[in-house]
Amino acid sequence: MTILNRWAALAATFLALASSQSFAQDCPKLGGVLALTGAQGAIGKVIADAGRLAVEQVNKAGGVKGCQVEFILRDDTTQPSVGVDAARFLVDVQKVNAIVGLVGSGTALAVVNSVTVPNKIPVVGCCAVTPALTKMAEEGKTGGYWFRTIPTARTMALAHAKAVVDRGYKKTVIMYINNDFGNGVAPDAKVAIEKMGGKVVGIIGYAENQPSYRSDVTKALALEPDSLVLIGLSADGTIVLREWFSLGGTQNVVLHNTMRSMDVIKGIGERFLTKAVGIDNGQASGPSADAFNRDFQAAYSRPAVGPGLHTMYDATAITLLAMQAAPKLDGPSIRDALRAVQDPAGLEVGPGVEGLKKGLDALKAGKKIRYVGATGGFRFDKNGDVNGPMLVWKLSNGEIVTDSNITLDEMQALSTKAGF
Amino acid sequence: MLSYLIFFITVAAILSIATLGLNLQWGVSGQFNAGVVGFLAVGGYGMAILTMPVSEQLIVRLNWPFAVGIMGALVVSGIVALLVGLATLRLRSDYLAIATFGIASSIQVLANNLEPLTGGSRGLVGIPRPFESMGAQAVGYGYLVIVLCVLAVVYAGLQALLRSPWGRVQRALREDEVVCAALGKNVVRFRLTAFVMGAMLMGLSGALYAGFIGTTSPSEFMPILTFQIWAMLIVGGSGSNAGAIAGSFVIWGLWTASGAVIVSVLPPQWQAQGGALQSILVGLVLVLTLLLRPQGLLGPRLTA
Repeated sequence: MTILNRWAALAATFLALASSQSFAQDCPKLGGVLALTGAQGAIGKVIADAGRLAVEQVNKAGGVKGCQVEFILRDDTTQPSVGVDAARFLVDVQKVNAIVGLVGSGTALAVVNSVTVPNKIPVVGCCAVTPALTKMAEEGKTGGYWFRTIPTARTMALAHAKAVVDRGYKKTVIMYINNDFGNGVAPDAKVAIEKMGGKVVGIIGYAENQPSYRSDVTKALALEPDSLVLIGLSADGTIVLREWFSLGGTQNVVLHNTMRSMDVIKGIGERFLTKAVGIDNGQASGPSADAFNRDFQAAYSRPAVGPGLHTMYDATAITLLAMQAAPKLDGPSIRDALRAVQDPAGLEVGPGVEGLKKGLDALKAGKKIRYVGATGGFRFDKNGDVNGPMLVWKLSNGEIVTDSNITLDEMQALSTKAGF
Repeated sequence: MLSYLIFFITVAAILSIATLGLNLQWGVSGQFNAGVVGFLAVGGYGMAILTMPVSEQLIVRLNWPFAVGIMGALVVSGIVALLVGLATLRLRSDYLAIATFGIASSIQVLANNLEPLTGGSRGLVGIPRPFESMGAQAVGYGYLVIVLCVLAVVYAGLQALLRSPWGRVQRALREDEVVCAALGKNVVRFRLTAFVMGAMLMGLSGALYAGFIGTTSPSEFMPILTFQIWAMLIVGGSGSNAGAIAGSFVIWGLWTASGAVIVSVLPPQWQAQGGALQSILVGLVLVLTLLLRPQGLLGPRLTA
């Protein structure tokens, strides 16, 4: 019977494809483009679960505009050309009203530039951090249709700079992984450190997936730095630090949030990291984050740990709230509504079926709302990027503890100081 | 639906130009190029660098028109192919495959690191698209016409070339180099011209794709694309130009349509696994083709 249903669904899809242009639709459709297979597939699958959770919860809370939202998720196989094709299909054939997701920066660039902006479809990215999209927005090339819920690389760079300058380091060397992630953070970190009164004696990029980074580490040590800022992923970061310490490098290191795990710390050796600090988003904590973590655990029987989960949930939830808030389901209305559901004077609503129901009901009653999500409070800036509070962590008695918080106001002040 | 069809035909036609290039190298001349994606990258980046408007991220500031960009991409990929061809002159079959695969990977690494020229890992954004000022629809239709015209010219040229004495020598060369050399043919020059011309078509394809999408980044040029283009040629029929084009449409259609079908047929919790089905499906078609119709869809009849 179920098999029969599936074939019926397939036939219906093709019928719908053939006739989709002929009738107007009132029920909202949400598209998703994520890497479910390929190099980024391992993280993408879990990210997709977080997106589905948001859609299910909104539907349980009564849906959007009186309809159950249809969520059509496509796999970009970690290949930009396939991602562009999937996005084209979602927009042209399945007529989605908005798209969420996008893991790889190359895919995000191609989709935003060639599909969604020309067709006026709002996109809320969960995971791509590339500064190239900020630049596109600054040049007016996104038409305001691009948003993302993941703090940009600049936010990370500012936190690194503050950690360095607060500790009075005077000769810092930056080592970073040479991909879009590392390239996004490292140059901004250098600018920020120098604007805040520190000095960067060298900035050294290293290639991904190497068995050893001895030559890069030797190059960095030759500059005789008094501190190291390491912007890498956990695997390569572990190798770099092992070699750094074994070659006699300083213990004054500032780590990225990718290394904030006891497994990583133990892999390097705790006794070398007594003076080490790291940075991370200050957002992923608090009652609204706990609510998401609880729901995710309940729905998928696994903890909500991993990159992109909280940001994907928020990207999906805020897009659906915006669809409810938008007077019409066209691109410009949803685009504007995405900012309207962040009204500072509005009713605070959060994740979970009840929180979303509160938000949807308030919107139906014509009230203003402010969405505080799984990543805490956030607000899109003029480029569609989000800024947020950060924190500095350190090791204490074999545990990772918060050393200090950098509030949103402080972050804004730092941003001005760095000239961003 | 129509706008998607136009988009799909444009992309498949662009890919089929690269497949025609590979057909010239493998189907006609018998040279195993496993680095197709490297020449696509050279063409794509060439196009981007030559036509991008003045931007602070680039040291080169040319902003040349579209047609000059295409010509430039052809020239650049020709030069790169000549260098690669000269370096791999003495390599045959699997050795040539490994060498070209390595060269393609090197080109991708270069694109990732030559930041002032290629934008590094961030890629290049804002390659001007023809007809852009006339709206999204005009871009779609206009580009389709351009691509189909280019494809027609390339196809006609290759057909003429295949029937010419030059084509006959190439086919003879594929079967037996020693005999050709004994007949007084300059084996090196014939091999090199076929390799360079094939690579230039790949560069042309990369340039057209970059000009269509408007962005380019190192993640576009991963080895999977080489595999896809090979699959297109094998399924379509190695040695046949019409087959190369047909194969491109079939494989790219399968690759993209399977994604859409999976989403509508499988329940959500299986969809993540469904993504893997895409590769399995293409692999299956490839194996079935090799087993049941080794000459491909439109390939020349094989004689024992």
